[in-house]
Amino acid sequence: MKMIYCDSAATTPLNENVIVEMNKISSTVFGNPSSIHKFGQESRAIIERSRLKIANLLGCDLSEIIFTGCGTESNNIAMLGLLSKNDHLITTSYEHPAVLKTANELELKGVEVTYIKPDQNGIINCNEIKGAIKENTKLVSVMHVNNELGTENSIEEISQITNDMGVLFHTDAVQSIGKKNISLRNTKIDLLSLSAHKFYGPKGVGALYMRNGVNLIPTYFGGGQEKDLRPGTENISYIHGMAIALELAVKDCEAWHKKLSKFESLFLNNLKNENIKYTVNGKNLIGGILNITFHDILSQDLVIALDMKGYAISGGSACSSGSVKTSTTLQQIKMDKNLAQRTVRISFGKNLNEDDIDGLSKAITSIINKSTFNAK
Amino acid sequence: MLNKNRVLVAMSGGVDSSVAITKLNEMGYETIGITLKLWETIDPVTKLRKNSHCNSTEAINGAKMICDRLGVHHYTIDEINSFKKYVVDDFTNEYLKGRTPNPCVKCNSYVKWGKLIEQANKFDAYYIATGHYARIDHKKLSIKKGVDTNKDQSYMLWHISKEHIERTLLPIGELKKDEVRKYATEKSLETSDIPDSQDLCFVMDGDYRNFLNKFMPEKMENIDGGDIKSEDGTVIGKHTGFTNYTIGQRRGLGLSKPEPRYVKKINPISNTITVAKKDSMFSNVCTASQINWLLKPQSFPFKATTKIRYNSLGTSALINEHEGSYTIHFDEPQLAITPGQSIVFYDDDTLLGGGIINGNHE
Repeated sequence: MKMIYCDSAATTPLNENVIVEMNKISSTVFGNPSSIHKFGQESRAIIERSRLKIANLLGCDLSEIIFTGCGTESNNIAMLGLLSKNDHLITTSYEHPAVLKTANELELKGVEVTYIKPDQNGIINCNEIKGAIKENTKLVSVMHVNNELGTENSIEEISQITNDMGVLFHTDAVQSIGKKNISLRNTKIDLLSLSAHKFYGPKGVGALYMRNGVNLIPTYFGGGQEKDLRPGTENISYIHGMAIALELAVKDCEAWHKKLSKFESLFLNNLKNENIKYTVNGKNLIGGILNITFHDILSQDLVIALDMKGYAISGGSACSSGSVKTSTTLQQIKMDKNLAQRTVRISFGKNLNEDDIDGLSKAITSIINKSTFNAK
Repeated sequence: MLNKNRVLVAMSGGVDSSVAITKLNEMGYETIGITLKLWETIDPVTKLRKNSHCNSTEAINGAKMICDRLGVHHYTIDEINSFKKYVVDDFTNEYLKGRTPNPCVKCNSYVKWGKLIEQANKFDAYYIATGHYARIDHKKLSIKKGVDTNKDQSYMLWHISKEHIERTLLPIGELKKDEVRKYATEKSLETSDIPDSQDLCFVMDGDYRNFLNKFMPEKMENIDGGDIKSEDGTVIGKHTGFTNYTIGQRRGLGLSKPEPRYVKKINPISNTITVAKKDSMFSNVCTASQINWLLKPQSFPFKATTKIRYNSLGTSALINEHEGSYTIHFDEPQLAITPGQSIVFYDDDTLLGGGIINGNHE
């Protein structure tokens, strides 16, 4: 059975051009980028060209890009490298665990943490951030786009506030980079985390944007690579792949968003025409991520039934040790527990066509109408 | 016999040296890129060792990208010790004498040229090259101003020896800065957009006073505040330590005079600063030493266009030599002639030679 992948917010397949480019590098270039000889020089040049490309695409200086192993690592390097005992951190209660658990860990180390809650639409109120800033506040960390809801926070506005008040601003932009173009030069963002596998690049590579003038204390120790912040021999082909993937994503951004809105309206219209009871949650959506409540079926049942029919989507709530736990994010936007258990995340990617979208809505309709998940 | 087709190119990672090596490559030379590692500092926050501007990690990586695209070798050579010995120690000692040095002059002759020639010998290369805005006259073995008069760097090159000049190529001296950038953009050089460096490369925050305090705290502790005097010897204010002042300085003197006062003399022995009104800051004459002639005049006195600072157009002056010491009489009075600065002599656009302006025990 052909599987249709509708879970791009979790990860994306590698772009074919990226595979070709990465294979070229993997099969021909192997020198240690720190070596003096020409093998090293060749590897170094590939990494630095990737850095330059990414910097140009994000509108920053190449000295401001640090290559890391993933988005989680970028978040950890930024937060652990900046905060120490008695500092105050402001973050949000619906961050990805890569930020949330790092904040929890910092609390154990004596960092004071304020968790700002999103509103019912899944948006962080900028004034609440402003109101929480106090004398020992060192960092504000607010995710750009929420991974479960697809709601977008105004990081331009928040970073302007933090900048005016002399506080640093970090954003976990893992869900937005590659989907939405940004010019960092025109913002006051100090630190930004991104991950290649969310924009059709390889897994296991990410980057941290660190504005010139921001100083982080290293949390790893080794050979001094990546300004001592992420020491260890660089993954040349992955870094190269990430740069190519970002270039393709940025180029394709506008056209892709046009296609996406077509997909989304096709999908939702189909459901409407079949009288399926649903609610799309959240406002200010980035596009491509639909957090959607199907009132007549439990999310776990729907996810499994769709998988049996060849469609991959993600549950809005996670199953742990047999009991269905409501997702933290849905709790944070004060969604009724009963509805939260009927909520799923569907995220459309570049692998799809209109027939796939049509097929998905038909599959959902038939599952809900039959209230069974027999394989077809 | 050294290989006359091989060139060691000094690469700062900026656009000028990137274009220099690319041009030389086009001309058929076998090029090798060299970045001299000259200085590093400890970051006050992270306690990590950081390279200085001119050999930052980005600069070295920029040079590596350019060399990689040309298919030529690039190496980073550590010359921190010689940079300290010839440039930084001289720089700090001059300030302690109340003088204002041009560290780039010493860096060029001793480190960039001196050490690069040493490397060239090891690499069996006859030539070295840099991205300076100046030209070489290989017949006369002298230096000419760069075609781009706004960017001309010949003022900083007077201390280089003739033997080294013979082995030097300056491929961008014939170009204007915008032509260099245009060429870099056309060739898609990765370094085409890098902004020009401005400050002294080893003074990270651009404030030489902070540098002196950090570099030699024990010596700086002994430099106390003292009197600011007017020319008649009257004490009219207090200074915070003579190293904080340079000749011609107007701001930050803390004097409440209706007419501005300028620093005219710095006397480290008596720990005094003498200030004067602007009209008293002009002088017709100075003496100079450490003269290096690239084209020595047949006889003295000798008339030449003379520059007493980097950013000046030059003025006509008569140079007199007596038993190895030099006196320079300017046709027009000069503002704030500063001991320790280079004085450089030209015949039209040809650099004849230069020296260092005397004053404060020279």
